Amino acid sequence: MGGNQSIPKITAQDRAILDLKLQRDKLKQYQKKIQTVLDREHEIAKAQLAAGRKDRAIVALRRRKYQESLLQKTDTQLETLEQLVSTIEFSLVEVSVLHGLKQGNEVLKEIHKQMNVESVEKLMEETAEAQAYQREIDEMLTTTLTLDEEESVQLELRALQAEQEPETAPVKLPTVPTSEPIVTEPDEHIAIPEQQRAKVALEA
Amino acid sequence: MARLTPTGYLLPSIHSVPPFFTEQPNPTTQATLTEQWTRLILSYARHRRLFFIRIEDAETTGGDWDEVLRNEQINRRVMPAHLSSLLATLVAKNLAVYEPPKQTRSVLLFWRSPEEWGETLHEWATSTGQLNTILTFYEIEDPPVPSPLSGIPTALLRKAIASLSKTGRAQIIGAADGEGVRLFAGTGK
Repeated sequence: MGGNQSIPKITAQDRAILDLKLQRDKLKQYQKKIQTVLDREHEIAKAQLAAGRKDRAIVALRRRKYQESLLQKTDTQLETLEQLVSTIEFSLVEVSVLHGLKQGNEVLKEIHKQMNVESVEKLMEETAEAQAYQREIDEMLTTTLTLDEEESVQLELRALQAEQEPETAPVKLPTVPTSEPIVTEPDEHIAIPEQQRAKVALEA
Repeated sequence: MARLTPTGYLLPSIHSVPPFFTEQPNPTTQATLTEQWTRLILSYARHRRLFFIRIEDAETTGGDWDEVLRNEQINRRVMPAHLSSLLATLVAKNLAVYEPPKQTRSVLLFWRSPEEWGETLHEWATSTGQLNTILTFYEIEDPPVPSPLSGIPTALLRKAIASLSKTGRAQIIGAADGEGVRLFAGTGK
């Protein structure tokens, strides 16, 4: 059973945290004690008032007020202590995060050693060369083929063109008129607006 | 006629029978009686989360055990001597220990065994995200948020931690004026 090996050693930091937490517990217990005294003084004051002894009641209330101020002071101290405890715990977390980053970084470096830039460039070059070589071979093969079939392909193309020509004959457009079109009445209409326009221009 | 107590505990019907409260001369009947009493004591302790039972609970009134050790309606109660023998039976069956040790007037009840308490402690620490942090005993016994472990006596807590450390899941840290424990994840197998 190698179970005991998984328990980490107790470091000085752990002891420091434990001390802080123990102090915090002491403060909490002190607060509880003060609270009980407070409540008791309150009861005493009530009892004294009921018995009609106002001066004793005032004394009890004054004691209670003092206890309350003590309680408040302990509260602030408790807050400071708890802040310190959580800061320490947080910094421990940060340390482990940093440790994780460092380890990840080292793993990455190892991988990069195997995969350096020069070898990648060489690999890419060789791949490009191989591809070009392959293309050459392809072209050679295709040229040998088309020497035989190029003639028949051209014949087919001409036959198809002949078939299509009647369907796609150029559109016959009307010829451009050579003389002016003959119109009679519209002349007067055209003439009048021109005169009106002329008049308007002069008057301005 | 099982009776319901003010704290909401259902007493078995045998509790309303007068002979239940007296030690019987016949060994067989006495054995049955003792068996019933031990079961009743543990079950009540579990219901009210009481950890200790003392001889003085039979001697005086006003304690936590009055509902069980007394039955006013039939005017019967458990005598201190009877309670003493019941405590001895509990200790013999490993359902309690004399605590503080080396005396016979008060026992710490194991209505949950220390191993089970260890598991409860581990589960609570896991669910509140407190694994791998230092915890003080006071923090566990009296947490600001009530937990299944609230009010556990230090002696029982120590036993629970001991059982956890056997499976490598707890580590006690001693300091100048107190003790702490650190819990680790693990299945305890």
